Amino acid sequence: MTGKQDFQRVDRFTWELPKDHREDMRVPVRLYADSELFDAAFGDRTVEQLINTSTLPGIMKYAMALPDMHQGYGFPIGGVAGIDAESGVISPGGVGYDINCGVRLLASNLDWEEVEPHAEDLMNALYESCPSGLGGDGRVRVDKRQLDKLLSDGASWALDQGLARRDDVEHTEELGSLTGADPRQVSPRAKERGLSQVGSLGSGNHFLELDIVRDIYNADAADAFGLRAGQVVVQIHCGSRGFGHQVCDDYVKSLQGAVKKYDISLPNRQLVCAPIDSPEGQDYYGAMACAVNYAFVNRQVLAMGAREAFERILAGKVHDFDLRQIYDVAHNIAKFETHQVNGERKELCVHRKGATRCFPPGHEAVPAAYRDVGQPVLVPGSMGTASYVLVGQEKAMELTFGSSCHGAGRTMSRTAARKKVWGHDLREQLEAEGIAVRASSMKGLAEEAPLAYKDVSRVVESVHGLGIAKKVARLEPLGVIKG
Amino acid sequence: MNEARFEELEHTADIAIRVRGSALGELFANAAYGMACQLADVEEIEISIEREITLRADDVEMLLVDWLGELLYLGEREDAVFVEFEMMTVTHHELRALARGGRIAEHQAHIKAVTFSQMNVREIDGVYETPIVFDV
Repeated sequence: MTGKQDFQRVDRFTWELPKDHREDMRVPVRLYADSELFDAAFGDRTVEQLINTSTLPGIMKYAMALPDMHQGYGFPIGGVAGIDAESGVISPGGVGYDINCGVRLLASNLDWEEVEPHAEDLMNALYESCPSGLGGDGRVRVDKRQLDKLLSDGASWALDQGLARRDDVEHTEELGSLTGADPRQVSPRAKERGLSQVGSLGSGNHFLELDIVRDIYNADAADAFGLRAGQVVVQIHCGSRGFGHQVCDDYVKSLQGAVKKYDISLPNRQLVCAPIDSPEGQDYYGAMACAVNYAFVNRQVLAMGAREAFERILAGKVHDFDLRQIYDVAHNIAKFETHQVNGERKELCVHRKGATRCFPPGHEAVPAAYRDVGQPVLVPGSMGTASYVLVGQEKAMELTFGSSCHGAGRTMSRTAARKKVWGHDLREQLEAEGIAVRASSMKGLAEEAPLAYKDVSRVVESVHGLGIAKKVARLEPLGVIKG
Repeated sequence: MNEARFEELEHTADIAIRVRGSALGELFANAAYGMACQLADVEEIEISIEREITLRADDVEMLLVDWLGELLYLGEREDAVFVEFEMMTVTHHELRALARGGRIAEHQAHIKAVTFSQMNVREIDGVYETPIVFDV
């Protein structure tokens, strides 16, 4: 059993487990966290899962976990692996079932004082405009031909359909369309599940939140992003719904054969993978990219729903009800990026599972409007607690293959949370704090109680202290719609 | 009754249970029942749907993941939860079963998928058992 004593402290926020700790490790393991979050990593299987990740063929530098790390399946959540695109593997276990689960931030031009008199109506309208809960149908139903086009093109399909603005697309990671999407590699069952769910939140930890910008830490970046203290903003957190779950499920099963065929030795079946340049690996990438595009469109359609709700309730009552997209980031994804490895530029397949891309100033993938300051990094807190907007720094390229944390990270199981908290009590408590709550399930609400999560501020201080991303703004919730 | 058929295990983010059975068929039925108990209050379900399920897989863990995944898929499509299982054939590679269930008023949880994480079907002194981790 691996313990804290097996790790070497590299600096205040970096802990390293040498490669010789276990025979099958190909690279060392690194945990990025302050000492309290480092200690917390030993409360579950996080470290074991990260050691397993370090055995993947082609993994470069380190198997890493960010300070919001916790146990998942296959990779831990908060895990990042940069894998050599020429000689390495791609793993559905390094992306997860909710492919391109991610966050979108929309900013209004309104102060809370202008919105407050209409807050109750606005929350109801947002709840109606953004379908939540299980299996539920989305705002848009597509036919099979439209679905194939949506899967190939992502946000540009939405633009063609009048479901997006050019600005939305420009302010989305990968312009909302991951290249290489191949609908032919997606099973009929996944497509069937995808037809009806475009524009739906889903359940679990997904949400739509109305927030106020409470603090600004970095005026230059906040100006570039268009954020200011007192402003009302909207966050949308969701993914690729049943479509993405089915794609992952299909390939976790079908790639089991590839593991045998290519004689890959794995410590855990959920880490199932295939060589990137094999037909099996290419098929998974093509299907996964479809799910990435599905999720970008899903959040796009929900953003249009939020705009509709703002217009319906606030038109004629406030000076400007528009919502402008600040950014949209994925946090469950595998993608090809160029990084420096041992002084050489190398093409890697970067797996981020519960981790956010975090590119620095000047990087060509950062939207032109933000290029001088760096990529916005969106870090939602647990329900009812603060969220943060950060900005990517050069140090992330050096340490984490351009990655940062994605949220608070759970620390308590769902069953334990339910034993400690009643959904109804939690709603009353949040409403007493001035946070309006709309939820489809009280049990689900209890499972997402803030006490089941790490302190998001602590997580953010670790990445800020490490220097991979810097704090720009702190958001506080005014209303939560829980999926 | 629930405790006898499965037990809940602690998992930071997802749902995990341990199931046992005196034969593979019982193990599979208990796994499906344990999953149903996460999805809904099973006592409230009135049986109105019956589906026959036939599956083949390379090994017993894949068969178990397929079986539970099939029930989730049918449940999502029919807006139902399956709670009764008649296991006609269950070997390491083949399954034929009838699953019966009904609609529910309120879902308690959503399971995205059944994972291979920690899954290891073992037989010890005539009792089959395995942990199962569900992604939620």
